[in-house]
Amino acid sequence: MVMGSPSTQESSPRGPRVTTRAESRNSGTWDELALENVSMTFNPGKPNEYRALANTTIKVRRSEFYCLLGPSGCGKSTVLNLIAGFAVPSSGKIRIGERQVVEAGTDRVVVFQDATNALFPWLRTHENVEFGLSIQGVPKREAAQRAAKYLDLVGLRDHARKYPYELSGGMKQRCQLARALVLEPEVLLMDEPFAALDAISKRIMQKELLRIWQQFRMTIVYITHDVGEAVLLGQKVAMMRKGPASSIKEEFAIECPYPRKPTDEVVTAIYARVEASLQDEVGVSLYAA
Amino acid sequence: MQPRLALLLKHTAITAVSISLAIFAWALFARYFAFPDLVPSPWETFGTGAQLLSSGALLNHVGVSLERVLVGYAAGCAIGIFVGALMGRIRTVAQFVDPLLQFMRPISPVALVPLSIIWFGIGDMSRYFIIFYGVVIIVILNTAAGVVSTPNIRLNAAKCLGARRSQIFRRIIIPSAVPYILTGMRVALGFAFMGIVAAEMIAAQSGIGYLIMQSRMLLRTDIMFVGLVTLGLLGAAIDGCFKLAINRTMQRFMEHQINV
Repeated sequence: MVMGSPSTQESSPRGPRVTTRAESRNSGTWDELALENVSMTFNPGKPNEYRALANTTIKVRRSEFYCLLGPSGCGKSTVLNLIAGFAVPSSGKIRIGERQVVEAGTDRVVVFQDATNALFPWLRTHENVEFGLSIQGVPKREAAQRAAKYLDLVGLRDHARKYPYELSGGMKQRCQLARALVLEPEVLLMDEPFAALDAISKRIMQKELLRIWQQFRMTIVYITHDVGEAVLLGQKVAMMRKGPASSIKEEFAIECPYPRKPTDEVVTAIYARVEASLQDEVGVSLYAA
Repeated sequence: MQPRLALLLKHTAITAVSISLAIFAWALFARYFAFPDLVPSPWETFGTGAQLLSSGALLNHVGVSLERVLVGYAAGCAIGIFVGALMGRIRTVAQFVDPLLQFMRPISPVALVPLSIIWFGIGDMSRYFIIFYGVVIIVILNTAAGVVSTPNIRLNAAKCLGARRSQIFRRIIIPSAVPYILTGMRVALGFAFMGIVAAEMIAAQSGIGYLIMQSRMLLRTDIMFVGLVTLGLLGAAIDGCFKLAINRTMQRFMEHQINV
């Protein structure tokens, strides 16, 4: 890997915090992102009514790397869309500190799994990254300078003038990451961002993400269906019940320092526990004959 | 480079064979199966064409027809994109316009020729209208389809990057619809060429349609053939330019490598 190695940086997840522009932009500080008794029913009152979430409560500490895990269809993405403000819960409250989330905003930027549709195909890589700044009316030169910094950070400097269709899957996700980071969001919402990548690219991107998180200390809510990924990345891993009417089944705190090796004893031990919880939830034993 | 050149040569060769065979078949048919007055031979047609070219008459007709197509087509595209975008964006507009469109769609521009002459007189205005009519419906429908099919993820991405409704429309939805709009414009161009002939066959003193219609009176099938060949060549050439322009400049609006 060409970029800065995380091992040279502090490896404890509770290191000194870098103060970002996002914090100064924000009126008050906060210590918790919370979903309180959130329920979400799609198409209420119609024949295709679907209750995705029922009385879900999630608390994410500021600067925490929070992984949301669960069987497919359990409402992981619904949780993320609610935090992002793309949808409004049927009942319950979503708040960041004291502020209630009512709509989408640049303090909570999403990195989507489907990069082909998430990126703007008619804009070059650097223009994609500049988009959020340009929307805010940041002058072109300043936007370009700020974008360049983040293109460097994700290792896309040499690909800045390419269009998304010219980028590989991993590079597309780097572009999405840079496009989010340039806005210095307080919360990074990631919806299975590396699920479509090959095994090697995925490991590289996970390492890169950890490096960036350790540098910026933004709060990350990371959705995945991959237990291995969750235990390598998360300070907390939350298991969701299978849908419908899903909620959090249990949470696992992982104190193990970064970078974590899949073969570390602590990691394998927690992996076994999370895996057992998932199989229990799915109701299928993957190891029985 | 070598295989690419070979591929290009092969492509050109096949095209050349295809055209030669068609001309050969035409010559055979004219020579052995048809009355010479009904089906002129290719050579006779080319000869007449050359005469009409050197006298300047053919170019004059082509120029007049092209000008009419251009005006009607430009107006049709502009209004079509505007209305289509509104339809795609505002459901009430879509519900309001759609039944009208579905009603108008099966009504061929040709059927409107007599009416447009009564409405707009025998001047060019009636011909602009015929072409406009043929173009606008296709462009509206394609634009609306493009606007509606902007991926949801892309809209959400723009939202969390701070874009407001008007910004999303201008900077996300319209560019997302470009491939659809271009497809509509390309199809509509074909319709514009069909429309112009119909419009010029009645009450016109110039244009390719007029040329074809007038030669009927004189029983000059060779001039008719010249008109038909000219139409075919013109349409193919303009479509080719359109294709080239899309490939050259519009790649960036597509999600994947294109090769129309």
